[in-house]
Amino acid sequence: MPAYHSAFLRESDVRVIGNFSLPNLRTRTRGPAYTLPQLPPNVSELDVDPDSEYYDILDETLVLFRANTLFRNFEIKGPADRVLIYGILWISECLGKVKPTMSRRDAEKALNSAALDHFALPGDPGFPLNALYQAPRDRTEADLLRQYISQMRQELALRLTNRLYADESGKPSKWWLSFQKRRFMGKSL
Amino acid sequence: MASQTPAVVMDNGTGFSKLGFAGNDSPSFVFPTAIATKGPGGGGGTGSGRPAVAQKPSYLTGGAGPAGHLSAKRGTEDLDYFIGDEAIAQASGPGYGIDYPIRHGQVENWDHMERFWQSSIFKYLRVEPEDHYFLLTEPPLNPPESRENTAEIMFESFNCAGLYIAVQAVLALAASWTSSKVTDRSLTGTVIDSGDGVTHVIPVAEGYVIGSSIKSIPIAGRDITYFVQSLLRDRGEPDSSLKTAEQIKEQFCYVCPDVVKEFTRFDREPERFQKYVVEKLGGKQATVDVGYEQFLAPEIFFNPEIYSSDFLTPLPTVVDQVIQSSPIDVRRGLYKNIVLSGGSTLYKDFGRRLQRDIRHLVENRIHASEVRSGGVKSGGLEVQVITHKRQRHGPWYGGSLLGQTPEFRSYCHTKAEYDEIGPSIVRRFALLGGPGT
Repeated sequence: MPAYHSAFLRESDVRVIGNFSLPNLRTRTRGPAYTLPQLPPNVSELDVDPDSEYYDILDETLVLFRANTLFRNFEIKGPADRVLIYGILWISECLGKVKPTMSRRDAEKALNSAALDHFALPGDPGFPLNALYQAPRDRTEADLLRQYISQMRQELALRLTNRLYADESGKPSKWWLSFQKRRFMGKSL
Repeated sequence: MASQTPAVVMDNGTGFSKLGFAGNDSPSFVFPTAIATKGPGGGGGTGSGRPAVAQKPSYLTGGAGPAGHLSAKRGTEDLDYFIGDEAIAQASGPGYGIDYPIRHGQVENWDHMERFWQSSIFKYLRVEPEDHYFLLTEPPLNPPESRENTAEIMFESFNCAGLYIAVQAVLALAASWTSSKVTDRSLTGTVIDSGDGVTHVIPVAEGYVIGSSIKSIPIAGRDITYFVQSLLRDRGEPDSSLKTAEQIKEQFCYVCPDVVKEFTRFDREPERFQKYVVEKLGGKQATVDVGYEQFLAPEIFFNPEIYSSDFLTPLPTVVDQVIQSSPIDVRRGLYKNIVLSGGSTLYKDFGRRLQRDIRHLVENRIHASEVRSGGVKSGGLEVQVITHKRQRHGPWYGGSLLGQTPEFRSYCHTKAEYDEIGPSIVRRFALLGGPGT
């Protein structure tokens, strides 16, 4: 049983830029993604049913992160897997920025500013996975992709903080921080 | 028969030796296969210019007591040694050097092995070898010369009454007869023997090891301990010594059906996180949190990738390959009777997960061939992994079981036979517990 793949590979009617798909997201941050309905108040964000209409690829990324980040090899089966990889690497990056003593507020600040920092797109020389990702074809596509990834980064950072500070202790979960040093596929953003 | 002395069963493994008497439930002694002798160069303890101090007036030193440096002059230094746990204790002090006479299952240092046996027989078991038959074990593919050396020592040095040398894997199969799942006492099956250093997958047909199909995996108990330790370190736990890691491994680890689901379960049920209290020197205590390593550690058998970068084949796949490379007429029996043996197979649900994964592989292959053949239905193939209560000391227990049978003595070679024919007599043994008994 090797590393886990995205269940969103099955969805076919998704926009694709290069070979990176843009699945729908459940988010309040502004951006080009089609948005899914927000969670009803009685459903916890930590425990979204994979078959419900609220479940998006970011939920999946957070669930698979701890298992997949242990693996060094991963066979990409489609555009959705590339979103998953990017998400997992971004979570690793975020965990690296959170210190065990940080309060929730400080962590939110640090992660949010990291999410809004300039980042490399597939095809840019600084992008670590250029062997696996195709560059966007033109400026319009590149802009769209940048906005989408930015949206993804912000939303993922937000949901990660919710998980890190799920208990009431006010300290980030040591169980999550223990994955700081692991490198999924031996790569980092 | 009532006056018969019980056979002595000795299973000398790379890591631990198991000693005891046939008919018993568990070995009388289990200790490391280690021997501590006076260091190399004749006087290891004299490096500082002082004479070596005899550590303990063991009866073996002839009661020399504190006059250790005198006894060396009288030529008794070859009696000055310790085995087992004592050896490890002595080796940490001055004067003694430790040696593990068995490497990779095979005896490397016969001189040390002879002394190890001497101490085992006279100091630990306290038996007269003239009065007892001996059942020793050997790894699969042991060269016959090793057997001859063993016989030479057993008959000529110890003058033992009779000797039988059995293959560990075959004994492990015999040990599984205690399980209720085993209905016919066959000696056909696949043995998965996982100790501290290495894991072997050994196919056995009718009591004979299929040598060409044996595979070994460089992942075993020690690696699991290292992996637990690395997880503890990643988290910065207050204590991450090997000893703590080993304790956590033995007390908390289990095999889960699916890693991702297990992570989610830990999120939902925080009471799954456990605590382990370490007693430190000076009466201090440290509390170590025990989390994901509970199920991640044994997972390295099923996903070696998460631990090692050079060995990537999961255990179920290796077992499948081993059986597929065995003669076709025994494969059914090998799939049906997969027997676990050794300390690293004791994790909860280890057998269940292994059975599920192997079954999965087999069913996929059957399905593929059904499709290729154009709709012919296969009769199916039974895959069964046997978990039983005697796994930990499987080979020893199998030896105990077979050594207590009334026929056992007739399978042994006796001292008289050895004297007549010579060491080559032990190249062949009749199959103990095989058909006809």
